[in-house]
Amino acid sequence: MMKWTLFTPELFYVAMAAVFFVGSLQRRVDSRRLYRWAVALAGVGLVVSVACTRLEGFLFFDSYKVDLFSQFFKVLIALGTFFVILVCSELHGIDPRKHAEFYFLLAVCTLAMMMLVSAVELLTIYIALELSSYSLYLMVPMRHRADRYVESGIKYFMVGATASAMMIFGLSYLFGMTHTTYVAEMVRVLPGLLHQPAAVVGLVLTLAGFFFKQALFPFHIWAPDVYQGAANQVTTYIATASKMAAAAMVIRFVGLTTGQSEALIQLLVVLSVLSMTFGNLVAIIQKDIKRLLAYSSIAHAGYMLIGILCMTQRGYASAVYYAMAYLIMNFACFMVVIKVADDGHNLQIKELAGLHKRSPLLAMTLMLALFGLAGIPPTLGFTGKFLVFAAALEKGYLLLVIIGMINATISLYYYLIVIKAAYLLEPVREYPPVRVDTWTRILSIVLVIAMIYVGIFPDRFVALSEAAVAVLP
Amino acid sequence: MLMTAMEFAQFPVLSAILFSTILALLVILFIPDDRPKLIKQVSLGFAAVGLVLCLYVYFAYDTQKGGLQFVERFLWVKSLGIYHFLAVDGINVPMLFLTAVVLFTGVLTMWELEKRVKEYFALTYLLVAGVYGVFMSMDLFFIFVWYDVSLFPMYPLIAIWGSTRKEYGAMKLTLYLLAGSALILPGILYLWAVAGGNTFDLFELQRIGFDVHVQRIAFLMLYLGFGILAGVWPFHTWSPVGHVAAPTAVSMIHAGVLMKLGAYGILRVGMTLCPDGLVYWADLMALLATVGIVYGAFVGLAQTDLKYVIGYSSVSHMGIVGLGLATMTVDGINGAVFQMFSHGVMTALFFSAVGYIYDKTHTKMIPDLGGLSKTMPKASAFFIIAAFCGIGVPCMSSFWAELLVFISAVKTYPIRGILAVSGLVVSALFMLRVVQKTFYGEKNPKWEHIPDVPLFLASPRIILVGILVFFGLFPRLILDVIQSAVIPFVNSL
Repeated sequence: MMKWTLFTPELFYVAMAAVFFVGSLQRRVDSRRLYRWAVALAGVGLVVSVACTRLEGFLFFDSYKVDLFSQFFKVLIALGTFFVILVCSELHGIDPRKHAEFYFLLAVCTLAMMMLVSAVELLTIYIALELSSYSLYLMVPMRHRADRYVESGIKYFMVGATASAMMIFGLSYLFGMTHTTYVAEMVRVLPGLLHQPAAVVGLVLTLAGFFFKQALFPFHIWAPDVYQGAANQVTTYIATASKMAAAAMVIRFVGLTTGQSEALIQLLVVLSVLSMTFGNLVAIIQKDIKRLLAYSSIAHAGYMLIGILCMTQRGYASAVYYAMAYLIMNFACFMVVIKVADDGHNLQIKELAGLHKRSPLLAMTLMLALFGLAGIPPTLGFTGKFLVFAAALEKGYLLLVIIGMINATISLYYYLIVIKAAYLLEPVREYPPVRVDTWTRILSIVLVIAMIYVGIFPDRFVALSEAAVAVLP
Repeated sequence: MLMTAMEFAQFPVLSAILFSTILALLVILFIPDDRPKLIKQVSLGFAAVGLVLCLYVYFAYDTQKGGLQFVERFLWVKSLGIYHFLAVDGINVPMLFLTAVVLFTGVLTMWELEKRVKEYFALTYLLVAGVYGVFMSMDLFFIFVWYDVSLFPMYPLIAIWGSTRKEYGAMKLTLYLLAGSALILPGILYLWAVAGGNTFDLFELQRIGFDVHVQRIAFLMLYLGFGILAGVWPFHTWSPVGHVAAPTAVSMIHAGVLMKLGAYGILRVGMTLCPDGLVYWADLMALLATVGIVYGAFVGLAQTDLKYVIGYSSVSHMGIVGLGLATMTVDGINGAVFQMFSHGVMTALFFSAVGYIYDKTHTKMIPDLGGLSKTMPKASAFFIIAAFCGIGVPCMSSFWAELLVFISAVKTYPIRGILAVSGLVVSALFMLRVVQKTFYGEKNPKWEHIPDVPLFLASPRIILVGILVFFGLFPRLILDVIQSAVIPFVNSL
């Protein structure tokens, strides 16, 4: 019976999903009340996840492992969900009658991703992944008056289904080679089999499923359209919380090889370089800020992969730290987007004009977040890049690091364009005033402090991410 | 051991300097927008505090003992070996003094600013925090962090308060400099990784003594990376464009102090950690520096915009710094560091003088001006003094600096040295031509009504002139300090 305490965060989100399921059955919808419920429940969920960080153990015939690595990512996912729900106060992007369903799917998706980061058995992993994907497939076309954006929902589903087909094919190879579906067993057997192409192919195909979630080149094609087509809050969720689970799983599966496969490393190097370069170059010409952030997320998937492909403890730790930093910075950007476009339309860069007068606090949050994404000190984004590159140089990947840094310079160009819009441009026409309520104000200040504090005093967080990856097999 | 304990017990002057700027930044952020006067007074107050502390460091630094003084060191990030390590030696001390002077005079120069005052001074303090940080950190991680912190405020500073093609200039400058740091970071991390990945402490790394092969690669990356900021030809093109676009005090800080960060970085990081790399690349350094000196002078000859003239003369003068460093002799490096200091003060004076003229006439095109010495003799005098200093007239501090560099350059690299000296003649020609056309000659009646610069607004320029002449008359006072660090450094090469 004690064992079930290990499952507390997941059980909590099951309960949360149930609450909103009941809510969705009601004829009359009160969005304000749903919002208050959602904030309260997500807040408690975060507290529960944090409280369960130190738990350790196995569940369900050892197919489910609770350790610091999984719990750390569960906290990140819970934090992302909490953030997203906080900015749902003006949920104009989604038909008011579907608000309860929206929160329901959000809770289910969070639950699924939490299960994903703990799953250490191939079928469990696959089921958890599909559960989270299907919730997202449903959330994307929920956008209010979605006719124009129906395409993005279909596109997301098609590409996602293809990626998951590739993944299950890869999983079958892995099973065929190693005769086991348990990750712990596999990590023992697989390194000896890596000289056989089938093992590498199986692994790469499996990774493809997670690369799709991470929007790594060439599995990125859904990202710009879906980011643009989904409601702002849904995009925020896809861009923050769902990236965390994918990063965790890439780390877990790459870790299976224990650095034995030269071919895999080379492939990952190529993917990371392509992803960074492609994402950054295409982002330059974007006009829609969500599309811009989509391409920047493709680039960031590349940076994160640099840390992972080192296949050292320090490399994984740097990727974990980077994921955490990315969650906070990216959310800060999206929060500003949501608040400025509070009727839920797609924000163009030029609509940010004069933001420093309309809302100095949001402008500052945006500037710091973008500088963070560009990797400028003293923000936490810089520390993230620094750790990733340090790990890569320990393995001697000098050229890769130089390419990464050049990419960071390119990315600064388009981030500066956005900052320029917020701080320099005068609005060409009267834009509606930005309403910043007390909660947003507090959230902005917390984010600003977090971005700077973690950037200047990274010691404890580096130690935490190192402890998290130390438990990996 | 007792010694270090005593040093720790002292008042942490360096931290006080560094954090006074951050405190200034925070204080300014909390002053309401509608009190610009108060913001300026607070800025000036903090700048004065910094100046006093830097002067204290300058005079309290024991040149007999030499080495690192005012040491503050504690662990920052354990798993990577990052230290919060502040210290100064004979090279840093004049640089800190220079920063404080330029900041103080820069705040005074911008006294009449009206547009978005609060943001301007807040960003200036952020920029200066970065500069101080680089000049006193002895840990590679923090050198890089502060270096980047000093770069990115340049973008808003130029793009918001600038003039001629400001957005283009700001973007070009920011991207160039950040491209430079894209080489520095891999260089630093490379050395760190080769050394075993557990310390960023500059001197611990120095003791390791890297492999020649490693040094060559790392030195090239560090030299090019820092060199972009030092205006090394052919990576200098951001500098005239950026200086022209920037508002007066930002040009002062940027050309006066920030470009020195580049040269300082080459010296402190590149040359300290990779002496063998320096030996290997010194030829290239000397060549690029000489080309820079001659090229800057010739291009300067063709300019019609006063600020472009100064911009190209900076390229030329920073070439002298590069040439001095490349000689690897005591005199050469002494001269280079002295030149960094006097060029900083001189350029600040240049931009400050042009700033007043531009504020009043709204033009900085040489053909539009003319005969200014009759309408505003005092304002003109400042520019003319700076021009003399640029030419290297005796009794000006840059005379000594250039003399030292050229003597050792001619000894080490005869042909390049002589070419560089002849470049100086061209630069004298273009300076005198500018002075002649702008301040003498036909008087433009349009500017007759303009009042001469009042005493308060002239004060920053008076301070700068005073420093130039003072160190021109008593070069020993600064050379002793510089030498206390350079002699052991050259001996260790």
